Amino acid sequence: MIKKEVDIAIIGGGPTGLSAAISARKEGIDNILLIERNENLGGILNQCIHEGFGIEIFEETLTGPEYMQRFIDKVEQLKIPYMLNSMVLDINKKKEIIVCSPEDLIKVKAKAVVLAMGCRERTRGNICIPGTRPSGVYTAGCAQNFINLKNYMVGKRVVVLGSGDIGLIMARRFKLEGAEVLAVVEILPYSSGLPRNVVQCLEDYDIPLYLKHTVVNVVGRKRVEGVIIAKVDERWRPVKGTEKKIKCDTLLLSVGLIPENELSKMAGISLDPITNGSRVTENLETNIKGIFACGNVLHVHDLVDYVTLEAELAGKSAAAFVKGELRNESNIKVTAGNGIRYVLPHLISGKNDVKFSLRVMCPDRNRKIVVKDGEKILTKIPKMRVNPSEMIQFNLKKEYLEDVKELRVELE
Amino acid sequence: MKKKFVCIICPNGCEIEVKYSEEEIEKISGNLCEKGLDYVKKELFSPERGLTSSVNLKNGLLPLVSVKTSKPIPKEKIFALMDEIADIEIEAPVKIGDIIVKDILGTGVDIIVTKNVDKRIHS
Amino acid sequence: MKRNSFDFIIIGGGVVGCAIARELSKYRVKTILLEKESDVAMGISGRNSGVVHAGFYMKPGSLKAETNILGHRMMPKICHELDVPYQEIGKLVVAKNEREIEHLYELKNNGDKNGTQGLRIIDREEIKKLEPEVEGIKALYSSTSAILDPFILNVALSENALQNGVRILLNTEVLSIKENSSFLVKTNKGEFRSEFVVNSAGLFSDKIAEMVGIDKYKIYPCRGEYHILDKNKRDIIRGMVYPVPPKELGGLGVHLTPTTDDNIFIGPSAEYIEEVDDTANTEQVMEKLYAEAKELLPKISKKDFIRSFAGVRPKLIKPTAKEPRDFVIEESIDSFINLIGIESPGLTSAPAIAEKVVEIIKKKKKLKNNRKFNPKRKAPVRFSKLSNQEKSELIKKNPNYGHIVCRCETVTRQEIIDALRNPLGSRNIYSVRKRCKATCGRCQGGFCTPKIVEIMEELHHPSIDDLTLKGNNSRLFIGRTKDLRKND
Repeated sequence: MIKKEVDIAIIGGGPTGLSAAISARKEGIDNILLIERNENLGGILNQCIHEGFGIEIFEETLTGPEYMQRFIDKVEQLKIPYMLNSMVLDINKKKEIIVCSPEDLIKVKAKAVVLAMGCRERTRGNICIPGTRPSGVYTAGCAQNFINLKNYMVGKRVVVLGSGDIGLIMARRFKLEGAEVLAVVEILPYSSGLPRNVVQCLEDYDIPLYLKHTVVNVVGRKRVEGVIIAKVDERWRPVKGTEKKIKCDTLLLSVGLIPENELSKMAGISLDPITNGSRVTENLETNIKGIFACGNVLHVHDLVDYVTLEAELAGKSAAAFVKGELRNESNIKVTAGNGIRYVLPHLISGKNDVKFSLRVMCPDRNRKIVVKDGEKILTKIPKMRVNPSEMIQFNLKKEYLEDVKELRVELE
Repeated sequence: MKKKFVCIICPNGCEIEVKYSEEEIEKISGNLCEKGLDYVKKELFSPERGLTSSVNLKNGLLPLVSVKTSKPIPKEKIFALMDEIADIEIEAPVKIGDIIVKDILGTGVDIIVTKNVDKRIHS
Repeated sequence: MKRNSFDFIIIGGGVVGCAIARELSKYRVKTILLEKESDVAMGISGRNSGVVHAGFYMKPGSLKAETNILGHRMMPKICHELDVPYQEIGKLVVAKNEREIEHLYELKNNGDKNGTQGLRIIDREEIKKLEPEVEGIKALYSSTSAILDPFILNVALSENALQNGVRILLNTEVLSIKENSSFLVKTNKGEFRSEFVVNSAGLFSDKIAEMVGIDKYKIYPCRGEYHILDKNKRDIIRGMVYPVPPKELGGLGVHLTPTTDDNIFIGPSAEYIEEVDDTANTEQVMEKLYAEAKELLPKISKKDFIRSFAGVRPKLIKPTAKEPRDFVIEESIDSFINLIGIESPGLTSAPAIAEKVVEIIKKKKKLKNNRKFNPKRKAPVRFSKLSNQEKSELIKKNPNYGHIVCRCETVTRQEIIDALRNPLGSRNIYSVRKRCKATCGRCQGGFCTPKIVEIMEELHHPSIDDLTLKGNNSRLFIGRTKDLRKND
């Protein structure tokens, strides 16, 4: 077994890991190791060949691979060491990591760790879709991989369950390549994707969106032959008598993403049951000193630009930790109040400016994000439109946070 | 004629209602700014979309390479353009920015590569 | 002897058929096994709880009881010889109220009569010691109840039979059987002649029997649905947790069964259905299973489900029947041996059934020992089960072991290659899943299926039509990405 000692180990070579690595290097840390399980850097963006990336950071709209290449080039230019085809099997509180690589098993002792493993797709099993289990049921990301990278068309008559962004983008992708998309079915009363994607992926191609509907049965023994969809009531249960059969050969699932925190659990990191990611301080440090989390493993983002910015902070914090400059004084709790699903970070110090990320519960108009300390209102941020599919971020200057006891963020 | 739009230019997402004829907007409401008017005008009379897809790649590390149009193209040309690129096969290596078709279908728009793919070395 | 002429034709590649094939390979005879699906273990044998029953459920004196007890005794050795995961984790049958307690004693009595070892009635205190999360007032504890990997057992039996000279044909469906001096079995892959026929066709065994004019048996399919829990919930129970069996004769009641891969099965339900191969899940039962499991173990949630599935019991009784019916293990007509109604505890009983079948044969035909018989079958490496030292050594010998393909179950590239090079020649996603557990984890193949397909391409250069989920007509793809828009 090979042994290695590094200042910062970064687990995951997608957009998050690359940005964290670049940022840590810029802070003067040389001994970095980036660990990627796939055969190339870039993560899931390699298969996201559509446009819409980079508007915040580069002020132009790029495809996934183009966005990614800019960071890969930077990593190469800065000569940041990385391992491909290498997966972390184990990590502990002492920041000892076991990496499995085609070279050997490698034991890495790190001074700091950045968790950047990303997320995985929720599956059919997670949401209990009844019916047979034939070929032709794919998660959207898996189908995207086959179509965009492996040169396989997975079907020609497609029903999409879930109107998240990946589902919408894949609906368009199928249509463009000549398949029929018969329906996008969404259990909620609104699409869970960005409005831009609803317009440009569905409306442009006259793809019907069935809101407040779900798939109640899958038919076909060997290959999907059809699905039954039905209306749902307020408690999301199918309403008898509203069933409708759609003949198709493919059911595509876009029913949510889950941060991949199996390694975090091994390291004893405490998780937030709402985000399924770590609890973090304003430095993006977890409850284990020197282990930081960012990107989709922390909470699922809708824009990669925000992932990049978050990862830069994590990289910077990890570098400060290695240099012994990270002050850990975050002991003020931040909680999500009325109308807010979650807010990050979970703990702040009150001594620095902080960028908060949050998601609301339901879509709405003309609301205010209210930040309170007890009953005292610290600030109100007006929002023309709020939508659970769009992460909201705002900065709060340290002047607002002096002497705060507990921060509560609400929707008014 | 009447139509409803959700403006996608900024996060405000204005719900805009318009009354319009063959060539002009007669009445517009719901937009908070001029950008909304421009958006609706464009969508009604000359909608354009950037198009992304992939083309077959020979001797590459991947069997396909992703591509995009250099500029948005008229919306009604999307399928014709998809048909056009379905038969294309290019040879690896390719680099981001490589132009593989110039002035496709006389649109003045080029098809350009969006991913670096190296040549496959036969073992 | 002619190429298509055999001493024995075994119809059906489930655990019973494969156990018989292996048993026959101990003798110098010519045996062929015909399986209509793309792999073994595609029916009942691959859709059950994977439990090695200790033998206290079955009525004393029945074939079910006899073969169960024998099979339970034989299984540790067989699993050892064939390198099959086997764990004696024990079982609790839990009484939730006073009324159920007497049933525990009935079960124990049954077990004592049958010869089950290690049965004890325990009280609440001891229940809590064994299973802190389980609620119950008294329980029957069976220390020798065990679990095994039913896929691997079935695969291993078939591979060992193959290695000892049995021919196995997949994708071969029996269409008709003609009987004169010997049997002529017609299939979609040609005709085969044989002195004996063994009908171990599971859910289709009544149809096969009908082909030779035996119409007294009818299979009533009874479906059992399951949920599978994420392995990160494995620790909530130690062994198996069962309720007191319900009065209806469907099954043993919804239970919690750990698997040898650290998942937990919740199920099965029991519902009579129309078609024998209808393994669909239903909304109603899925909800009911969840509710019942939640009652046994309040700590589980739907978020922990990674997959649901269903199996079908080949019952010989209608739902209205008052009494259970025993296994049919008999030579119904001259040299035609029927194995019908082999439901639970069929998996446990399989090796004992195989011995019984050979006993029947021996009465008619002298069997000479096969001196070359090798009882051992070596399983391919399971990387995830090794120590770090062992992993490191293996990677240095073969870098394919250092390349993890299935992240959830930690399955390496070499294990996928081994699975795809299986001696039966079954090459689809299910045959990989069965043998090395890739795609069985929490992402259910979302990440690794494209990688497995890539390895399939590299190894065997299959046509697109041959890339399937589970054999014929289960194609993964309709063509290449650009095919639908190609202008030719």
